[in-house]
Amino acid sequence: MDKIILNKHNIKSSDFINSADNIKASGKYLLGIAAADERALNSKFTLRYFFGGGGGIDEYRVDADESFQSISKICPAAKMYEREIYDLFGLLPSGHPDLRPLMLYPENWDSSVHPLRKDYNNLIPDMKKYGEYKFKEILGEGIFEVLVGPVHAGIIEPGHFRFSLAGEPVLQLEIRHFWKHRGIEKVCEGRDFKDALNLAAKISGDNNVNIGIGYLEAAESILNIEITERAKYIRVILAELERIWNYVRDVAWIFMDIGFALPAQNLFALQEELMRLNKNLSGHRFLFNSLTIGGVNLDLDSAKLKAIEEAVEKVENIIKDCEEFILNSSTVLDRLEFTGKINHKTAEELSLCGISARASGLPRDSRIEFPYLIYDKLNLKPVLHDGGDVFARTVLKIKEIYVSKKIIEGLLFNLPEGDIAVAYGNKPEAYKYAIGNSETSRGNAFFYIMADDNGKIFRLKYIDPSFRIWPSIQYGVLGNIIADFPLINKSLNLSYSGNDM
Amino acid sequence: MSFLSKLLFKNKTQEIAAAGSDSILIKGEELKRSVNEVFGRSLFVRLVDSGSCNACENELAALSNPYYDLERFGIKFVASPKHADVLIITGCVTRNMLNPMLKTYENIPSPKFVITAGDCPETGGPFKDSYSVCGPVSKYLNIAVHIKGCPPEPETIISGFLKFMDILKASYRNTENTSIKMPNKIINVP
Repeated sequence: MDKIILNKHNIKSSDFINSADNIKASGKYLLGIAAADERALNSKFTLRYFFGGGGGIDEYRVDADESFQSISKICPAAKMYEREIYDLFGLLPSGHPDLRPLMLYPENWDSSVHPLRKDYNNLIPDMKKYGEYKFKEILGEGIFEVLVGPVHAGIIEPGHFRFSLAGEPVLQLEIRHFWKHRGIEKVCEGRDFKDALNLAAKISGDNNVNIGIGYLEAAESILNIEITERAKYIRVILAELERIWNYVRDVAWIFMDIGFALPAQNLFALQEELMRLNKNLSGHRFLFNSLTIGGVNLDLDSAKLKAIEEAVEKVENIIKDCEEFILNSSTVLDRLEFTGKINHKTAEELSLCGISARASGLPRDSRIEFPYLIYDKLNLKPVLHDGGDVFARTVLKIKEIYVSKKIIEGLLFNLPEGDIAVAYGNKPEAYKYAIGNSETSRGNAFFYIMADDNGKIFRLKYIDPSFRIWPSIQYGVLGNIIADFPLINKSLNLSYSGNDM
Repeated sequence: MSFLSKLLFKNKTQEIAAAGSDSILIKGEELKRSVNEVFGRSLFVRLVDSGSCNACENELAALSNPYYDLERFGIKFVASPKHADVLIITGCVTRNMLNPMLKTYENIPSPKFVITAGDCPETGGPFKDSYSVCGPVSKYLNIAVHIKGCPPEPETIISGFLKFMDILKASYRNTENTSIKMPNKIINVP
């Protein structure tokens, strides 16, 4: 099985801050930090830092008692992970600049209760106020704040945005998320691998296939399952179809937010057709339940293949018209260009991934960097832009639609024969762990899973691309006007549910 | 501007919807008649996502695409709860979203009604055992109609609105005075 190379290193917490500097200097970037309560195994908490880039993934393992050394000063991307660990495990990241609670709100949660510790007794604190959340303040003459959310005006998910302004330009944006924190990681513990697949699909519904693939990469590696070539092909086709409908919707929203309702509605109609194609293929408009451990739940016969071929052909034609229109219309360009610029340096420091990274010139695409399924055979090249603005992201989404279409067309009529799923009865080795990667429409989805001694899940850590990318909006909006914020937000189109988990 | 003019003359809602499915038009026209009768031509809806996976929001947003175009039947999603008649709730009700959800409800002027969309607000869905979930919605609010599905398809949501209008019309006819009463028991719609 040609899984991703995982180089493992053990390291002392106090030394890690120096190593982190060297790791960063070598061009690697933080993929995520997975903490686990492994006191039952080695009487320590374990933190695993995953760094990617340069052909493999490095794992740095740090054992901790009640605290560990924060690396946020060297590696700003670590900031959110460390706050999360402080909330859920109660391990203190010493030297961290901002230890406000993240997902367990002081408005309703007792901060001495840490639900991801294995000795957490499942007692839920009473629903009452335990403390106050302090927002950052910008003081000065004429500075005022604009508060948005958590409940927004449109049909979207909840999140709180707090702008500080002097006149029109934004001086600071502070985002408070995790309104939708559902505690999925905890719910997965003690479940079998099949149950957890269903939960993984509901982390972020519109990307359930790609996130599911990331989960299965890890789960099937733990369970020692080798799926058939046919199943791999079908998984890739479904994943690319999901990417296409996501990007069609994203481009539609860009048009909507700059007041071009006509092309927007045309693309929404196209999205609807793609959702109906999904239903035709799998019986579900979002392709829910099309993946299973050991393969896929649906086969593609010649009628379905034909339907896919026609659909992607139609998508390409319509999107080509839209692209031409965007590139030739000064009113569109006026809104998109130089809006919401995320600099190359910011993208690098925050370890961005997916479209957001590629639009700022970073060649990060999990399909290429950490290939899975059959992506290594497809000779993909990262599609890049160096603008970093809304325009760059929109253009890349359009280009990615062409790439996905090409991938699908290449596979459609070369489907290898074979079963779509293999049976499995393997019980995983006790406390074996694995990682899994996939590229969703938003970026890299990362799983770290460890099995317990019973064949169930001991610890599941999922890192959503949105979790990495959300902080970058706080930089992207600086100097822009509030009226452009919805556009900047839509150009990244991040998931709240994936971020909040 | 050939691109825009090309778009102007195709994909008309009526043609698309009829080609897609007759049942949407039939249900929609029925819905329009009911909304006209009870709400005087406009039913305003406010959405709160109390902790979903975002699939339900996608389907609710799809109601505005040219295939469904819900607004032509008199139903409009509004930005503020102060303009709304109905609160649609999706998601399993997380501890963090409980307060914003209830505040949104409080801010809707009476008479007001709650509809839930999806399985999560009805049962808690796959997240019901979590430490940070305190649903289902029925613990806190009286619900007129549950629209089932994971997520409910747009057409199912339109059927849900029809059920809701039927319940309203039934209670409307049963009362002596003509004011609409909040249904005081939870009614499950299969």
